[in-house]
Amino acid sequence: MAVNVIKERWTSKVAEMKLGPNEIKIGGESTLPFLHFEGEMPHRPVTALEVIDMEPEDYPDMLKEPFASVLNDPVAWAKKVVEYGADMVALRLMSAHPDWKNASADEVAATARAVADAIDVPLIVIGCGVEEKDGEILPVVAEKLEGKKCLIGCVTQANYKSVTAAANGYGHCVIASTPLDINLCKQLNILINEMGLPLDRVAFDPLVGALGYGIEYAYSIMERARTGALTGDKTLATPVVCFVGQEAWKAKEAKDPDAAEWGPQGDRAILWETTTATTFAIAGGTIFIMRHPESIKRFNAFIDEAMKSNAY
Amino acid sequence: MFEIIGERINGLFVDIREAIKNKDPKPIRDWAVRQANAGSYWLDINTGPVASKEEQAEIMAWLVKTAQEAVDLPCCIDTTNWLAMEEGLKVHKGKGMINSTTAEQAKMDALFPMAAKYGAAIVALTMNEKGVPKSADDRIALAMELVANADAYGIPMPDLYIDPLVLPVNVAQEHSPEVLEALRQVKLLANPAPKTTCGLSNISQKAPDRPLINRTYLAMAMVCGLDSAVMDAEDAPLVDTAATASILLNQSIYCDSYVKIFRQR
Amino acid sequence: MGLTGLEIFKQLPKKNCKECGQPTCLAFAMQLAAGKASLDACPYVSDAAREALDSASAPPVALIKIGAGEKLLELGNETVLFRHDKRFEHPSGIAIQVNDNEDVKAKVEKINKLVFDRVGQTHEVNLVAVNNASGDAAKFAEAVKTAQENTQYPLLLIADAAAMEKGLEVAGANKPVVYAADANNYEAMVNLAKKYEAPLVVKGNDLNSLAELVEKVMALGYKNLILDSGSRELAKVIADQTQIRRQALKLFRPFGYPTIAFANNDDAIIESLNASTYVAKYAGIVVMNSAEAEHILPVITLRLNVYTDPQKPIAVESKIYELLNPGPDAPVLITTNFSLSYFCVAGDTEGARQPAYVIPVDTDGISVLTAWAAGKFTPETIADTVKNLGVMDKVNHKKIIIPGGVAVLSGKTAELTGLEVIVGPRESAGLPSFFKQRWNQ
Repeated sequence: MAVNVIKERWTSKVAEMKLGPNEIKIGGESTLPFLHFEGEMPHRPVTALEVIDMEPEDYPDMLKEPFASVLNDPVAWAKKVVEYGADMVALRLMSAHPDWKNASADEVAATARAVADAIDVPLIVIGCGVEEKDGEILPVVAEKLEGKKCLIGCVTQANYKSVTAAANGYGHCVIASTPLDINLCKQLNILINEMGLPLDRVAFDPLVGALGYGIEYAYSIMERARTGALTGDKTLATPVVCFVGQEAWKAKEAKDPDAAEWGPQGDRAILWETTTATTFAIAGGTIFIMRHPESIKRFNAFIDEAMKSNAY
Repeated sequence: MFEIIGERINGLFVDIREAIKNKDPKPIRDWAVRQANAGSYWLDINTGPVASKEEQAEIMAWLVKTAQEAVDLPCCIDTTNWLAMEEGLKVHKGKGMINSTTAEQAKMDALFPMAAKYGAAIVALTMNEKGVPKSADDRIALAMELVANADAYGIPMPDLYIDPLVLPVNVAQEHSPEVLEALRQVKLLANPAPKTTCGLSNISQKAPDRPLINRTYLAMAMVCGLDSAVMDAEDAPLVDTAATASILLNQSIYCDSYVKIFRQR
Repeated sequence: MGLTGLEIFKQLPKKNCKECGQPTCLAFAMQLAAGKASLDACPYVSDAAREALDSASAPPVALIKIGAGEKLLELGNETVLFRHDKRFEHPSGIAIQVNDNEDVKAKVEKINKLVFDRVGQTHEVNLVAVNNASGDAAKFAEAVKTAQENTQYPLLLIADAAAMEKGLEVAGANKPVVYAADANNYEAMVNLAKKYEAPLVVKGNDLNSLAELVEKVMALGYKNLILDSGSRELAKVIADQTQIRRQALKLFRPFGYPTIAFANNDDAIIESLNASTYVAKYAGIVVMNSAEAEHILPVITLRLNVYTDPQKPIAVESKIYELLNPGPDAPVLITTNFSLSYFCVAGDTEGARQPAYVIPVDTDGISVLTAWAAGKFTPETIADTVKNLGVMDKVNHKKIIIPGGVAVLSGKTAELTGLEVIVGPRESAGLPSFFKQRWNQ
């Protein structure tokens, strides 16, 4: 008996987002991840490496090594990221954190502009993670980065108004962040959209957990969101941002050089970060923000293979 | 997702009848836009009574074209005149819907091939030359005939909309629960199952407080698997009920603004 | 779910002879679908139709058992495409391959060590795959013997019919996986598999040839099967595994069996990444070459994560957890025994290099806010846990720290415990700051 290939009839697709001075496109999928036989993935998932605007204290040696001479110079660090082949640079404005340097909005905006001017690829700018402070600094950053078409995050239910208004006015996109709750995620996208920012300028961050540390929660949220996007749910049909590096390198399995029963750190750490990323890629992730250059290399090789045709 | 079939472009309404008489496209376009904004998925198009079959066909084509000039929605072509049906399908952009056939063999033999020819969906009524049966079982027996014939003519089950025929509760109350049971059983007839639809407003014909009856029955019917209904898209509490029932049935992902989102296509 | 009216109707002769007591075949089909008639009432239904209708009540993906005893592996009985629709039932079996022309004993001993402790459970690989790389039947049999003698795990035998016969003489009693029946050798392979009641892999070159071959094998009366669609490239494997699962769920019987996928690759990192993908994407058995912990641990961990029942999150034991050798002045952190809650608190505390005691209250594995709403994370349960575990005996202060989300519990908890209750951050990510500002200043 010949097999009648089962192809789902998807009725809608993920929005397509444009980022950066060269307007790189992401998203636009009209099928489940890598099921090319029943729809299109016009753009492959993209990678970014993190740049922090102050020397990180919690990077293990393995993570410092590829950026050895640039860890205290965000502009140089960003250029190194581009050299390593990342599709985008993700700049984290940690110096604004009240417990760290408590840098002012103007100071961090200036850093962001300097980095943006030094690179050709799209720039993702992340605040310090304290909602109130981010609500203050990100609008200033947005203004300073006018013309650069950046992706600015993360906005939450608490601070989305000021940041969205600025992002809208200065031509940027935003990352909407909600803690592992698909209903809140949908609602925040709607609130942002109601302020006048079109849905193709919003990406959502479900707050992914790393492999072994709750990866399955965001995995299922992303699978549900993608199915919704393909069956007419416009508010969840936005690209998804995965902060893989931040989470994976918290894990002992990645950062501990001495855990003998788990094998040597080299392959172990790279696999911890990359497996986290590839798992979210098969669930529907779009932008993968990682920390180690070897991880993005391995991830891209995986995506090269996954993007090959599997038509019947 | 629940599919609202907006019922307003019907020649029985005075303004539509006038528009048809004067070949005035504005009321048609306005109603198309209003029903689209209220969340309609399909626009039902009905010419109302017209003396000559040929004239009716012309009018139907004009109505379909005019409506689709204003909005990007498919039309549900509502007529017993096969000539008008075909003329409407010919000018229709995208997948249209034939409204409707019954389980009479001659009608199935004419309208299922037409649906296949134009790639259209089709509403199929569970009645035949003997009329509307009373019990759910008898409605289902006719539904099975419709399913088997549609399948033989190559109509995919998701394009078949079984209508178990809603009758007014004030004179045919005993049919109300039978229709609900029939809706439930339709889903067991084939895999994938056919869709279901109904003329919702019929339940409250000539009763007082029609909106109350309509929205209560709509919620009950959605639990039994109702996929779509010809209804008043501008009855906001009715559409809100559909939105709420849809969330309560886990048909789409909850968010606090679900009532608003339901109307956006 | 049984067959629908239409599916049954298609199997009937459509003569409308009325001998079944119904006016039409259609009516009879309806009665059958409703369970109100028996197929026996129809004198003209064909054997093929009867077979198709009988198999309708079997599960979409057959339950297949591999091996025997303590390490027996079960696969199948899957009912969904997405874990969030219900759950995945039987976690993929991981098979590590050893070739008969290498040091079998050494590799098998390495495989035996791939046992890991996570969230208080033991996780390990499941099968040793012995491959007849040498092409020599005697050598293969010897390798199988060595493997069997040195491991508890069931075996997966990869060989042609002649070598398979020898291998099964050694290992057949323990029901190893027989790899594989193809278009050329299936009759011989089916005979061998039948003899030992061993699960048999059926291998096609693509979906069509696979379906055809499965039907031939089933016609020979054997249904203890595992499927190999023949694809080895990532995108094609993802597509085939998805197709087979979709088809099985739609009751296409030739695909109603667990599958096997081969991740084998000279590059161990590529192999590990692909293996993880296959575990998430429906494969029943995933085969790998590497027996190194650093390559296997990610795959095992992902398997644990994806196969967790979404309705029943994993819980940790409610006991005193000591992070980074806490001394008597270390903080005492209260959380719930939802494993994610515990691991987030532990992870962020260790990330801040803060020695601490962590006390997870037993809330049936529910997270902080949900457990509070459900009345399982209360001043009473916190007080009882702190008292029963005796953690305050280990410290020279009288303070406990509760999650910021349940700040309202602080008053009553202080009353019941007699301790000072400090309200911590809402998210565990706020712990590093919290320690800096509120504990260590």
